[in-house]
Amino acid sequence: MSIPLLICDDSAMARKQVKRALPEGWDVDVTMATNGMEGMEAIRSGKGEMVFLDLTMPELDGYGVLDAVKSEGHKSIIIVISADIQPEARERVMGLGALDFIKKPVDNKKLTEVLNKYGLL
Amino acid sequence: MNDPVALTEDQRDCLQEVVNVAMGQAGDSLARFLEVFVNLSVPRIRLVSRNELGGELEELVGGAGTNVSGVSQGFYHVDDGSGIRGEAIVVFTDSSFKEMADLLAYDDELNEAGERELLMDIANILNGACLTGIGEQIEKELAFSSPSLLGQHIPIGSLLEHEKLSWGHALLVEITYTLEDRSFTCTMFLLMPGESIEVMKGELDKLLEDF
Repeated sequence: MSIPLLICDDSAMARKQVKRALPEGWDVDVTMATNGMEGMEAIRSGKGEMVFLDLTMPELDGYGVLDAVKSEGHKSIIIVISADIQPEARERVMGLGALDFIKKPVDNKKLTEVLNKYGLL
Repeated sequence: MNDPVALTEDQRDCLQEVVNVAMGQAGDSLARFLEVFVNLSVPRIRLVSRNELGGELEELVGGAGTNVSGVSQGFYHVDDGSGIRGEAIVVFTDSSFKEMADLLAYDDELNEAGERELLMDIANILNGACLTGIGEQIEKELAFSSPSLLGQHIPIGSLLEHEKLSWGHALLVEITYTLEDRSFTCTMFLLMPGESIEVMKGELDKLLEDF
């Protein structure tokens, strides 16, 4: 069965960049969200078993999504993909339950490496 | 739209993401300098006419009554002078200096010369990281001139009074850095004049073609 995968980023280009970086043949069912609020709606309706999450977004940012996922008890596996390269940004999202952090711009190699690291492929 | 400088939605989105990545690098440089976590917000991009610019800037820093200090640095494409060029302007609200003096553990409050030095240092850090980041993504090496002081503790409306603004429309890119629990706001503006916007649009289209 396909894995419900959510790509949550306010930039259309960034969403396409992530989609294009997905490993070939990976059986996923992709949903796109343009901000954290939309992202949470998708997660609540079961479309985000895996989530690729941006941090700086309008409405609700990535930190807010991580908070909400935790407090609502969703089991989503969340990988943050962000341009915020401060070491503390990484620490913060890991503290909020993210599985890993990938620096933007993302590409197939980086994404595949991280997914392999956790045996997700 | 027939306006040669107007950006399509795809171009605006693309530029915003390019700026977002560059902003992340600049924010990290600022965080290292001040040894503190810097909050980033979504960069904002607008096309403004010369008449609108003053009002836009006032709104961005919290109204006409807000006093600021600012530094400007010209940037241009290294290979030829006719391509992408513009001004990168870094603006601090007055309350930011006290916070910086505190963060950098200065013994006394900063005097005007000390503030000026700090302004120049931070403008160099932010502009350097941001313009390098943008250049890397559009595969154009951007160079920049040394920073020049626009003014200290003056209303933002008069900050650009003495700038030679030889353009009708400019692309205003706004990047704001804030600190948690501190009254610190540093805003960076990139202003690109009309003909430069057209070159930038061409570069964005090249990036978009890859998707």
